[in-house]
Amino acid sequence: MKRYQPEEILIERGEENAPVVLRARARLPETPVRIVEPGWERELSPRNEADSFAAGKRRLLFTRQRSTFLEHCPAGTAGLVCCNYLVVSLISNCPMDCSYCFLQEYLANNPLLKVFTNVEDLTSEVAKAVDRQPWRQFRIGTGELSDSLALDPLLGFSGDLVPFFATRKNVLLELKTKSDCIEDLLKYDPQERVVVSWSLTPPAIVESEEHGTASFAERLRAAQRVQAAGYKVGFHFDPLIEYPQWEEGYRDAIAQAFSAVDPRRVAWVSLGSLRMTPALRATARRRFPQTRLLSGEQILCDDGKWRTFQALRVKMYRTISAWLKEAAPQTPQYMCMETASVWEKVFGHAPACDKDVARMLTQPHVATL
Amino acid sequence: MMNDERYDIADQVTAYAREKRLSPQTVARWQAWTVPDQAALWELVQVLQLGENHLRDFLDWCEEIMLRDGGSIAALLARTELRRPLTAQLGRNDKLKAVKEGLRKIRYPRLSQLEDELRAAVKALDLGGRVQVSFPPSLEGEDITIEIKARNAKELSEQLTRLHQRLEDGAVLRLFTLLDQV
Repeated sequence: MKRYQPEEILIERGEENAPVVLRARARLPETPVRIVEPGWERELSPRNEADSFAAGKRRLLFTRQRSTFLEHCPAGTAGLVCCNYLVVSLISNCPMDCSYCFLQEYLANNPLLKVFTNVEDLTSEVAKAVDRQPWRQFRIGTGELSDSLALDPLLGFSGDLVPFFATRKNVLLELKTKSDCIEDLLKYDPQERVVVSWSLTPPAIVESEEHGTASFAERLRAAQRVQAAGYKVGFHFDPLIEYPQWEEGYRDAIAQAFSAVDPRRVAWVSLGSLRMTPALRATARRRFPQTRLLSGEQILCDDGKWRTFQALRVKMYRTISAWLKEAAPQTPQYMCMETASVWEKVFGHAPACDKDVARMLTQPHVATL
Repeated sequence: MMNDERYDIADQVTAYAREKRLSPQTVARWQAWTVPDQAALWELVQVLQLGENHLRDFLDWCEEIMLRDGGSIAALLARTELRRPLTAQLGRNDKLKAVKEGLRKIRYPRLSQLEDELRAAVKALDLGGRVQVSFPPSLEGEDITIEIKARNAKELSEQLTRLHQRLEDGAVLRLFTLLDQV
């Protein structure tokens, strides 16, 4: 995988000596640096370029997070089963450029690749929240507004996060990635408290739709290495893409994934159909005119997102879930952004409440404390 | 010859866009197609008098079908099921409905097939004209709606009896099963 190289580094005045800034500058000694005033972010965001979203990724801004870090996963939508996941974002936007990525719409007006320097605020916020409810098991992920690891060779955030979460007994950190940037992770002992998870799609989809990501084989090699280093791994078949050879593609992908790692140390597997708002479809069509993602039999659902129509979607879920069950019988499976009735059709039961899903995912890890 | 054709189409599309107040983005998408593809859609647009929204549906579906199935848009739009309604003795709205339905069947083959099977299964219930069976839009969801109209208690009783028979012989169950099958 090609490592990210920004065209310019922008540093908000006052943040010049933040540890992450010093690390990044030491690792990119040739990259031009500009000090910018706080609050200039909007002015710095490219807006008039033909593809301002792509332009935003080429400049790296170091700034402070001025609101809270810890949030509920925004996938929790009324009428859909939620897994009670929490997210923290140290980075906003992503060096990769998947044709289906929701950030194209979500960050359209603010596409600069931003790195938040105040990691200590994140850790103290998380500590306060999880210590307040010591009986509860939390799952917290960093992969919502960016890839969790793609910038790690540059920023080294794993050195801040893994040792911190390794000491917390009632929280699992999930690092979600499509990269193979795991070198720094190997230096730390996760103490069973960190799950490194990969988004997986069949290699043909990786090549055509997931631009700038690690290849399918590179992801699996990386998963093998982190598992050997004591990390649990996870797999997300999300988005599930309906394309003419989907059965063959996903069957092979599952077989390869579970022969690369020890299935007994796979913390969880998720399934989630490709879902796009009308605005995201329009953006993807404009930015990636050759994408075949939009050619599946997708229809507009009640939550305002396009998905593969239900009968076909359920068939895909059932088929893939059965292959997963065969490959990793003990590994919990869950679905993202689906109705209780779809859960019922696929798994034969629907969770009574959000806590049920969260408990199913965290329970096996409580036993290992 | 090729150049003349390109200018002809471009002029005609520009004039049409002005008349129908089409957005520049929609026109630019159409004009990015090859000349034969532009001309094939132009032929259809003239007959159907497409406005912005319908035209955008045609652009979306044609491009999506081509990316999935290959071939050319001109060949797609030359298919009999799309050509036939253009020359049939129908009003503009009925022609538009027929062509759009034809194109939708190509764009959504499995969804359309499932819809056809459900229609056939409803017909086979033989519940009479005053009992309507309907499904959620685009078959997204589980609920089947059965609407019964009755002028008096006797008529309602007859309809309920017939519906009960269809429940007993498994014909209604078949609807629910079908709704979930591709």
